[in-house]
Amino acid sequence: MLNRKIGLLCTSVAGVVLLSACGQSGDSEAASEATSDAGATVLANGMTVAEQIKLRHDTLEDIGDALKGAGDQLKSGSPDMAVIQAAAASVVEKSTGMEDWFPEGTGPDSGVETDALAVIWEDKPDFLTKVSDMQGAAAKFSEAAQGGDAAAIGGAMKELGGTCKACHDKYRKDDD
Amino acid sequence: MTTNPEHHLVWDWTVRLVHWLMVILVLLLWWTAEEGMMDWHKRCGLTMLGLVTFRIIWGFAGSWTARFTPMVRRLGSLRSYVRDLKNGSHKPVFGHGPLGILSVFALLGALSVQVGTGLFSVDVDGLESGPLAIWVSFSTGRDIADFHELNFDILSTLISLHVVAILVYQFILKDNLIPPMVTGKRPSSDFAASSVPSIKAGFWAFVLSSGVAVGSVYAVLNAG
Repeated sequence: MLNRKIGLLCTSVAGVVLLSACGQSGDSEAASEATSDAGATVLANGMTVAEQIKLRHDTLEDIGDALKGAGDQLKSGSPDMAVIQAAAASVVEKSTGMEDWFPEGTGPDSGVETDALAVIWEDKPDFLTKVSDMQGAAAKFSEAAQGGDAAAIGGAMKELGGTCKACHDKYRKDDD
Repeated sequence: MTTNPEHHLVWDWTVRLVHWLMVILVLLLWWTAEEGMMDWHKRCGLTMLGLVTFRIIWGFAGSWTARFTPMVRRLGSLRSYVRDLKNGSHKPVFGHGPLGILSVFALLGALSVQVGTGLFSVDVDGLESGPLAIWVSFSTGRDIADFHELNFDILSTLISLHVVAILVYQFILKDNLIPPMVTGKRPSSDFAASSVPSIKAGFWAFVLSSGVAVGSVYAVLNAG
């Protein structure tokens, strides 16, 4: 009786471990398959699907980098305005043209690993509105940075962060 | 033991308090993360940092049932302990049994990793970040945040195992471990009388542990 119950417990634990292992390996298999052959299709802008996806990923990461750099300054007791201004200008520059980063065929169906969700292309007008909201907020953030008032910069940065989040919540695959 | 011969003190008040505060904080941390309440997530995380630090120092300087070295020594009895479990001849152990010791190390290890990675995590928008994330790049901070999320799955699996184990002890092995973790005491009749050590810890051990705990939180807050 006791043996059986402990055995049952061990089996269920093993089951949970196995299940999570399956989930993981399934994901990575799909990803490695994808990089080998998919994504070679050339888009209207001359880039391959894989290149487009990589470029937008890297550029968004640069934007994250710049925002974090500005945020780190604001958090420190004595923010370096020059660093914040450069970061803000870079966010504006990097986000220019974002509306063109998501051409048809660069979604998850492309076979290339991407966190972009298919809903982007199902509701493109809303997606584009959110992109333009972000660009507008970035411009305001840069203006505030030029002003040099830490509180105003912080406020503008929060606004900007809200536009990042609005898009990520709806159109980006959650990490887990 | 001198005071109450009918009961032995198994867990001192610090172990119990830290244990139950950790329970509350893990739930709060989980909830605040799910709800995106990052201000509160950070406050709770820093509190958890203090608790984990306290518990680790207490594991070296504190009461006997809390200390790691005796635990490591007792791991030698793991095989015979498990054999007794299988035979149905389980007897209550004073302090952690060998399986419980493995659980202590796993849980405390996972909690430390969780708190440690949280300090350096950066969110996807580059806006919210842990208090020490100022020292890492955005992409490193993102990788750490991914690991923070993965490790939470490990931690919650370990916690579930811990809870299931407590229930198995209670209902199958008839060894009720919950009241002692609340009151600290167990009836003396549960143990073979001769084998029970005193668990009293010195006052300075407490000063040291809480001092290092508060110091670690203070250091993190002032590092940025």
